[in-house]
Amino acid sequence: MQPLLIDLSIAALALLVFVADLLMPSEEKRGLGHLASAGLVLILLLTFVLDMQGDAFGGAYVLDPLALWFKRVFLLAGALAALIALDPAEQAFARRQGEYYLLLLLSLLGMSILSSARELLLIVVSFELMSLPLYVLTAFTKSSKLSGEGALKFYLVGATSLAITLFGLSLVFGATGTTMLPEIAANAGAIRSPLLVLGVLTTLAGLAFKIGAVPFHMWVPDTYEGAATPFVGFLAVAPKAAGFALLVRLYLVAFAPLSVRFQPALLALCVLTLVVGNVLALTQTNIKRLLAYSGIAQIGYMMVGLLAQTGEGVGMLLFYLAAYLFTNVGAFAVVCAVGAASGSDDIRAYRGLSRRNPALALAMLVFLLSLGGIPFVAGFWAKMGIFIAAWHAGLHWLVLLGAGLAVVGVYYYLRIARSLYLDDPEEGAQPITIGAPLRLALIVCGTAVVLIGIWPRPWFDTALDAAKSFLH
Amino acid sequence: MSVPPSHIFLLAALLFAIGAAGFFLRRNVIVVLMCIELMLNAANLTFLAASRMHTLAHGARPDLQGPIFAIFVIVIAAVEAAVGLALVIALYRNKQTVSLDDVADLKD
Amino acid sequence: MSASEAWIAAGTFTGVAFVIAAGTLIAAALLRVRARKHSEARTRTYECGEEPDGGAWVRFHPRYYLVALVFVIFDVEAVFLLPWAVSLRSVGAVALWSMLAFLAILLLGWVYAVKKGALRWV
Repeated sequence: MQPLLIDLSIAALALLVFVADLLMPSEEKRGLGHLASAGLVLILLLTFVLDMQGDAFGGAYVLDPLALWFKRVFLLAGALAALIALDPAEQAFARRQGEYYLLLLLSLLGMSILSSARELLLIVVSFELMSLPLYVLTAFTKSSKLSGEGALKFYLVGATSLAITLFGLSLVFGATGTTMLPEIAANAGAIRSPLLVLGVLTTLAGLAFKIGAVPFHMWVPDTYEGAATPFVGFLAVAPKAAGFALLVRLYLVAFAPLSVRFQPALLALCVLTLVVGNVLALTQTNIKRLLAYSGIAQIGYMMVGLLAQTGEGVGMLLFYLAAYLFTNVGAFAVVCAVGAASGSDDIRAYRGLSRRNPALALAMLVFLLSLGGIPFVAGFWAKMGIFIAAWHAGLHWLVLLGAGLAVVGVYYYLRIARSLYLDDPEEGAQPITIGAPLRLALIVCGTAVVLIGIWPRPWFDTALDAAKSFLH
Repeated sequence: MSVPPSHIFLLAALLFAIGAAGFFLRRNVIVVLMCIELMLNAANLTFLAASRMHTLAHGARPDLQGPIFAIFVIVIAAVEAAVGLALVIALYRNKQTVSLDDVADLKD
Repeated sequence: MSASEAWIAAGTFTGVAFVIAAGTLIAAALLRVRARKHSEARTRTYECGEEPDGGAWVRFHPRYYLVALVFVIFDVEAVFLLPWAVSLRSVGAVALWSMLAFLAILLLGWVYAVKKGALRWV
């Protein structure tokens, strides 16, 4: 029971929100957002207080330091997402707020179980529990045509990726005769069946869809642009992190004996993702699309950490995810505030933001610097750590390519940062005021980004410990 | 009866290929949803064939992992279809179309 | 049963299926009452005399969709119930309580559907 405590708490919180939503009169639904957010923070604190590590269901479920790290990332992302959504939800769909938070929590539950799953069936079910609410949440603003279109594209790609992944896993099951990852890892080296290699590669294609790696990335910008902004910050971080949790468990542990076979495919995906993400971001004029392509590029950097196939690489990947969480959720929170005030997501709306709301502009500046990897904010150490780990693993040319593309990245981030301060606001632009929940989320994200940037040591150490606990 | 598992694997691969081809070629959302179901069922068939293969190889007790997996996938497919159809209905209310060619407001 | 016997069985089964299908069609063709070539009765939708009312291409109301959706959820639930019922005795109390928890959550979903009026046929 002990290892399951976190997931059981999330499930209980989801049910609590669900029942409260049924009983509550429709004017007071805002409280559900507070409940969801506070509950998630409470569970997050619980993970630091109690020592719950161990496994359950005969090893199919495990709470190891790796799972714990991912669960904390998810909980934090969920709490911030609920917080950011408080005001917009009240305005856009006041009567359906309960469902919004319920779906958010259910998706979170799926991710949380996924990060602990060591059995194929559990992986598939939790993967779906994560994905289905996300499709619905993307379409949540029913009146918007773009929202429906973004959701449909997301759904079609997601459902296909599930089918491809499942087909791959069924081949793996066919070749190995077991659904337990540790047993697959033990057997995989000795099996000479082409089914296994085919299954491993097919599964990789399915998962590449999910994390939005090029050439399976087409849905990412459309979905981000169509979905409601308060939700995009969550969508950009949490499911991607869950995808990486799965990739680590499958490709660095279970299929590790086959690494010669899938390494080239993974490498090709990584290079394509880095190049295409960074280059296409250059031409974007919509901030959400720009952040989407930048997100694709970030996925590429994380894949570099995966490719290192060492404990150090995975540790840096975990660190990158944490830095990426604060940076991206924060950046989308700013987009949310500016979008609500100016009704536009065009990057022209960011001209002279410093004169409309200095604090908001400062926050955006910090997040952009972090995305670009400028010293000394969180994103700098994240990229640095990944590159060092990959260098140690012998991927020298990949590191050089990544560093070169990071410079391209700096260009498009700093272009916006410059116009925040040096350009004049558009005519008739009013000062922007932001509500208390959004302000709190921005303060948390901004502080975290700066703090990690100044003093990354404890984060590095915890991440490396988590990674080395299961991979040497 | 002795249809060898390899034949079932081939059938499943064929089903999957048909589904995948349909997914990329057809423009009607409903048909695309059907193609996705086809791919999921191909995976189901592979699970069952694999289970049968293991039963034939080891003999003593029937291998139940495949059938259990298939049951769960059936449920997942049903739930997914429900969400998909809901999205299509939402889209139809906004646009009066179920053709993917008419769904292209979002692009670079 | 050997491999060839299995194929013979499958072949016979297919053959019988075809014979029955073709037989009914042929029997219908031989036994039908012949109507005049251009009579009005021949162009009707139902030759048995039922008068059709309105066109066949009607729109279905979304409420069908809602009911179908709720049906599907409870329908696939039965997929889990059957193996559970079969193996309940051997697995024991854990299985009983897990399934009750599962059903309780499903019940909550049903309460939600009722409360939101998804099952009200207006």
